[in-house]
Amino acid sequence: MASVNWRYSNWLPIVAVALYVTVPVLCSIYYAVFPGGRFSLSAYSVITDDASLAAAATRTLLIAALTIVTLVATLVPAVLAVHLWAPRLRPVLEILCTLPLVVPPIALAAGVVALLRWGAQQGRGSLASEVSQFIQHPDLPLILVGTYVVLCLPFTFRSIDAGLRTIPLKAMVEGSSSLGSSVWGTVWRVVIPNIRGPVLFSVFFATAVCLGEFAIAATLNRETIPVWLFTVSNSNFRASIAIAVLLNLSTWILLLVATLSAGRFSALGKAKRKAAALDEATTLEKEAH
Amino acid sequence: MTESTTAVRQEAGNDVVFDGITKSFGSTQVLQSIDLHISSGELVTVLGPSGCGKTTALRILAGFEKPSSGRVLVNGQDITSVPANRRGIGMVFQAYSLFPNLSVQENVEYGLRVRRVDRGKRAARAKELLEMCGLAEFASRYPHQLSGGQQQRVALARALAIQPGVLLLDEPLSALDAIVRSQIREEIRRLQQQLGITTMFVTHDQEEALSIADRVAVLKDGVIEQLDEPRTIYQKPSTEFVARFVGSVTEVGATRDYRGGALPVQHPEAGLDTLFVRPEDITLVPDEDGSCTVISQIYTGERTIVRATNPANDLEVTSSVSAVEASDLVPGTRVTPQVMSTPALRVSANKQNPAEQVTV
Repeated sequence: MASVNWRYSNWLPIVAVALYVTVPVLCSIYYAVFPGGRFSLSAYSVITDDASLAAAATRTLLIAALTIVTLVATLVPAVLAVHLWAPRLRPVLEILCTLPLVVPPIALAAGVVALLRWGAQQGRGSLASEVSQFIQHPDLPLILVGTYVVLCLPFTFRSIDAGLRTIPLKAMVEGSSSLGSSVWGTVWRVVIPNIRGPVLFSVFFATAVCLGEFAIAATLNRETIPVWLFTVSNSNFRASIAIAVLLNLSTWILLLVATLSAGRFSALGKAKRKAAALDEATTLEKEAH
Repeated sequence: MTESTTAVRQEAGNDVVFDGITKSFGSTQVLQSIDLHISSGELVTVLGPSGCGKTTALRILAGFEKPSSGRVLVNGQDITSVPANRRGIGMVFQAYSLFPNLSVQENVEYGLRVRRVDRGKRAARAKELLEMCGLAEFASRYPHQLSGGQQQRVALARALAIQPGVLLLDEPLSALDAIVRSQIREEIRRLQQQLGITTMFVTHDQEEALSIADRVAVLKDGVIEQLDEPRTIYQKPSTEFVARFVGSVTEVGATRDYRGGALPVQHPEAGLDTLFVRPEDITLVPDEDGSCTVISQIYTGERTIVRATNPANDLEVTSSVSAVEASDLVPGTRVTPQVMSTPALRVSANKQNPAEQVTV
């Protein structure tokens, strides 16, 4: 009897967490699609009615895409270079990449604002002022790309670093170069395919950050989706909740995909599934005989 | 077989020269002026204890390390500053160097893919090599689905696929068990001779080094102690280190006037020349008044290794005897050891001339 109770109590925290997470979401969904107690998708008409949403969505996706490209294109070579040629610098890189975790986003935002203001104060037509203008352009605020890359560093660094530790990197690179390949050819043909899981994780993680970040975008007054939601919630609360639900669900799906991909899309995982399929085929063959 | 191998065979003329190669890591000197000439089509094994610099020498030839001074020449051309990926040198590593994300076939094709050989030619060549290495049925498998021996065969096929002028093997068999090791060793030798490919084989295993090589270079502390045919290395070692490191020896004292032939074993004391005698050149004669006592027998199949000691002066004698003789030499038997024939090496008591050889 006691053991049965113990088994149920195992599930208790999970159920509690599940309730804690799902109840607000379920309430939001109910509020968004059951206005006045009857099912209606009328709140979503804002998607077509309000042009500023489409603009904010496009901007956010563009920022996300640029963030991902910048993050992967700089972090993967950097971590790789440290592993291959400067293992002593690895702790330095690790600390640098972990720093954003201990700096509150609002402090980061304040710093960025101060920097941009300093640029603007250098006088009309000066280079600093031009650069400052350019990177905070309302249509495509590149400053957000840079800031989001920094925000993503702690987790993506850890993921890629761990990925590179589990593969025999030196043997791969030397084997590949003895066969005539350049270092970057090796990275493309051998190293990246073997850390596909961690790289995909970084991609999805960065997407989730870009879709959800509010503090910095709001401080800089650049209209990304979260900022749009906040603005619209003043005039059309139901619409803001409706879109928030949509955003929330898509972020969750992305994170789910990210978690699964870490295992599923790794090269070894792929090979193992192939092997399982092969074994199954041979067993079936044997049974047929 | 002949038809397929002619397509792979190298044209002659890929000799390798290490010309005064030295290498230091920080303040440690790993190689001290290595001069070595490997003729075209020759297989030279580099043998030595761990830390002797043998792998460093190989990595300098591969292009993974830069020598501190000296030159490396292949086919008469100085390649010292050519990067590894443009040397066209095939290499087989100790273990686990196959690309885990690629199938066996793709691994073998890799070097050709880098060279932009078209798909059809690539596949044909990979098939040919996999057949040569007895791996045809594994083409679509992945490295982790193969045994260690199979993986090393794939690594060999992969290295040979680019038709390298020179093949380097860095302890390729040390992670394998004994039976597979000797099988693959023979296969490597067969392929190497068929293709006539200049080969440098690094190992710490003396049996491996002797059995596969045209010549053996014995390395100690970054210096080549001796470079000779396997038979000479074993029968006529030129230094004490080589005598002790390759095969086993008993150190026997002899007076200056000893000129070969039978000799009762005595302890190598000051003032006496030291003879380094191979186990097969020593007999143990059972003798109730003998000075030594048999302490152990190690059965190795064809021969039995018998050890005897003289507790009075710590003399230790190793003899290799037939199974019949061994039955009279159970542990505890008192024996008189005797040198039967010419010792492998004689070191004069007068240390000014340490490598004076007995030439009988």
